[in-house]
This record gives sequence, C-alpha cells and structure tokens, in this order.
Amino acid sequence: MSNEHTVKSYEEELQFLKDSLIKMGSLTESQLSDAMDAVIKVDKDSIDKIIKSDEEINKFRSKIDTQIMNLLVKRAPMAIDLRETISSLKISQDLERIGDLSKSNAKKVKPLPLDLPDELLGNLKRLGELVMKQLNDVLDSYVNKNFDKAKEVWEKDEQVDDLTYIAMESVIDFLSKDKKNLDFSTHLIFATKNLERAGDHITNIAETVCYLVKGEYLKGSRPKGKVIQE
Amino acid sequence: MSKVKIKSKNLNVYYGDKQALFDVNLDLNEKEVTALIGPSGCGKSTFIRCINRMNDVIDICKVTGNIEMDGMNINDKDLDVVSLRERVGMVFQKPNPFPKSIYDNISYGPKIHGKGETKSELDQIVENSLKKSALWEEVKDRLDEPGTSLSGGQQQRLCIARAISVNPEVILMDEPCSALDPIATAKIEELIDELKKTYTIVIVTHSMAQAVRVSQKTGFFHLGKLIEVGKTEKIFKNPDNKMTQDYITGRFG
Repeated sequence: MSNEHTVKSYEEELQFLKDSLIKMGSLTESQLSDAMDAVIKVDKDSIDKIIKSDEEINKFRSKIDTQIMNLLVKRAPMAIDLRETISSLKISQDLERIGDLSKSNAKKVKPLPLDLPDELLGNLKRLGELVMKQLNDVLDSYVNKNFDKAKEVWEKDEQVDDLTYIAMESVIDFLSKDKKNLDFSTHLIFATKNLERAGDHITNIAETVCYLVKGEYLKGSRPKGKVIQE
Repeated sequence: MSKVKIKSKNLNVYYGDKQALFDVNLDLNEKEVTALIGPSGCGKSTFIRCINRMNDVIDICKVTGNIEMDGMNINDKDLDVVSLRERVGMVFQKPNPFPKSIYDNISYGPKIHGKGETKSELDQIVENSLKKSALWEEVKDRLDEPGTSLSGGQQQRLCIARAISVNPEVILMDEPCSALDPIATAKIEELIDELKKTYTIVIVTHSMAQAVRVSQKTGFFHLGKLIEVGKTEKIFKNPDNKMTQDYITGRFG
C-alpha cells in the first residue's frame, strides 16, 4: 500500500469518497436483488419499497458528485488519486443507472398475473442471478483493486447476453401460444432487457476498475453473446 | 520524433564533498518544454545550472560526465562561456531586472554581444523582445522608466524579454512563477506556450499543476537522482515509479 498523504484531511476525503461508493454499491445490490425477487415471485407489495430505495441511491449519487467536485477543487488530485476520483464519478453513474433499471423492473411487476408458469420465469431467474453475481464480483474487484477479477467480469458479460437471449426466447414462445399473453409478456421482455442493460453497466464498471488499477484501458472489444435485435 | 537539443550522460555534480547529482541521463527535446520536479534540494536547479555553466561561479563545484547541446560538449574547458550563455538564457525565481530603464534592461545583452549596432537596430530588438514576452503593449510608452518600477509579473516578463533579446536557443526557468500572483502566473504560462514554438525550454517548478499545464516532458528528481522521466501526461496520470507517484500525490514522507 502507498504511504498516507502528508495532508491528513486529503486522505480522509479520499477514504470518505471510497466509503460512499461502497455504500452506494451495496444499496444498488440490494435493490437489484429485491427487484428480481419481486418479478420472480410477482410480489406486488414490495414495489413501493424498491422505488423508494432508488431515491436513496440517487441521493448517494449527488453526494458523491459533491465530494468529487470538492476533491478536484481543493486537492487537484494526481496519478492514482486522480484515477480514483474520476473512476468514482464514472462508477457512481453506472450504479445509478443500474438502480433506475431495477426500479423500472419493480414497476413491471404491477401488471403481471400471479399465476405465471415456472418455465417462463426460470430463465429470467437464472439471468437475474448471473447479473447479481456480476455486480457483486465487480464491486469486490473495486474494493480489492483486483484487475484480474474486473477483467473476468468484463469477459463474463457474454454469458449475460446468452442468457438474455434464452430468457427472451421463452417469453416470445409463451406469447406466441396465446395472444392474450401479449400485455404482460411485453413487460417481461422489457424486464429481461433491463437486466441485460444492467449487465452492460456492470461491464462499464469493470472497465473503470481496470483503468483505476493499471492506468490503462482494456484493449480490444468485449466478447459478446447472442443478441436479440431491438 | 523531436530532435534532442540537450543531452546529459552520466552527469555528476559535487559541491565539495557533497554529491548533488548522481549519473543523470536526461534528454531535452528541441522546441519542447521540459518540467523538472522534485523536493527542495533534489538537484533540479543544479541540473539546469549545468546547461549554462552557472555552476562555474561556485569554486567548490565539480562536474563530471557529459552534457551536450547539439553535440557540443558544454563542459569543454575551452568553451566560451559567454557565448554559451548567449545561446542559453535564464530566468530566475525572483524577478531581477537591472537597476536601469526598461529599454536598457533589454538592450544591454544585445549590446555586449555585439548585436544591434545602431540605435534603430536596438530599438527593433527591444520592441521585438517585449512583444515576444507579451509586455510591449503595457510598457511601450514608458520605456525610459526603471525596470524595477514594474509589477512583479511585469518584471518577470521583462526578465524573459531580456533573456530572449540575444536570440537564445534554450531558456532555463528556475521557478519563474513562485513569486507571482495567479494572473501574472497565467500570463507567464501563456507566454511559455508561445515561446516553445521558437525555443527549447526547461522549467523547474514546485507546482505540479503548472508542470502539467506547460510541459510536454517531465523529469522527477530525488536526492540528486533522476528517478523517472517521461511524457508529462503519463507521469501525472500513471507514473511507473512508486516514488514519483508518492511525490506528485503528496504522500512523500
């Protein structure tokens, strides 16, 4: 580890920023997980709570923005401190977007019927679990400044793409059996797509962590799985 | 690739028994700004003083190794130091105009170097130098007033005008803005940007932000050793050496 800054308050401000980001990450994890549960269990009672937690995440985002502005003005950070500051800005933006997508998924629970068949939700559940694992891993890689782990997350997004494709297919199959399913199937398609987008934000975070640790961006394009054309 | 203007190879400097520089190998590119950073006493000023042989004035100072400008050995005993200093100008931390008029401050150098033999030639040199140092508009109507009557920032630009009046190739700046306010500093930095089109510039600075703003290359010195040198952007975003990182992030200790 590096030595501490000569100016103690600078050290504290950077630590405070890191702590805020970790807290925001952990809130985003809970919200994503709650929203997934709500969809899978068609739990309409939890919708309001999830929407409310998004406000918390947004508050963190503005708090982190302020901390970053103060750091830039007061400390003019350099090298690793500069990368830490800029990375926090980028990661907080991605976390906030993941929060928005979770909120959107929670809202999709309202029109769902309570008797959805298991085979329809099974693939969506697997996708949700994978995205959760990805978010958990990428936040771990941030906390431990682990380049390899971040890169692994980045590469694993291919699996998110593949599972999204499979989950979409099962919804479309279900829809094609009976046109009456159209209304809520559309919501499930959007929920699936939202998870895939959350996966993309997670890969953004993985790229940012790689830059933070090594000061270089990952080279080449990320492996991509099957994609349903929008 | 930029052409190397100054090249130092295994340069060592001793003040009596105390060694101030250890095997410094550093190339300075032509028409580029190189910033030298490092804690006080690390050898950065000693290094630039080797470029115009300013260390000659210190009796106990001994220089070994090589330092060349365009392939010419700067340490050559037979080298005419006066003509070297005509080619390598210097600006110091504290503005130090001569106790003479603004006009004479500029014309003094060209006169002793045999440039500008007629009054109109000298007038031209004075005007050009003051224009290049972005001071002309402010002083053109008061050229006979003492240089010391100017503000600190103007005095420093006067010293830069004085340095460029003899048409040097290299300008050494030893913390040129440390005694100036932010606006005067901004004017000098703006000027450095302009001057680098014509001159090779080396600036010693304690301001990291200034090094980032004005230079293309940065060298970090510590305890007389050149620890790391590279593109300024690289040094301040992602230095290779931990000591460099600790210094520029304020962790030195």
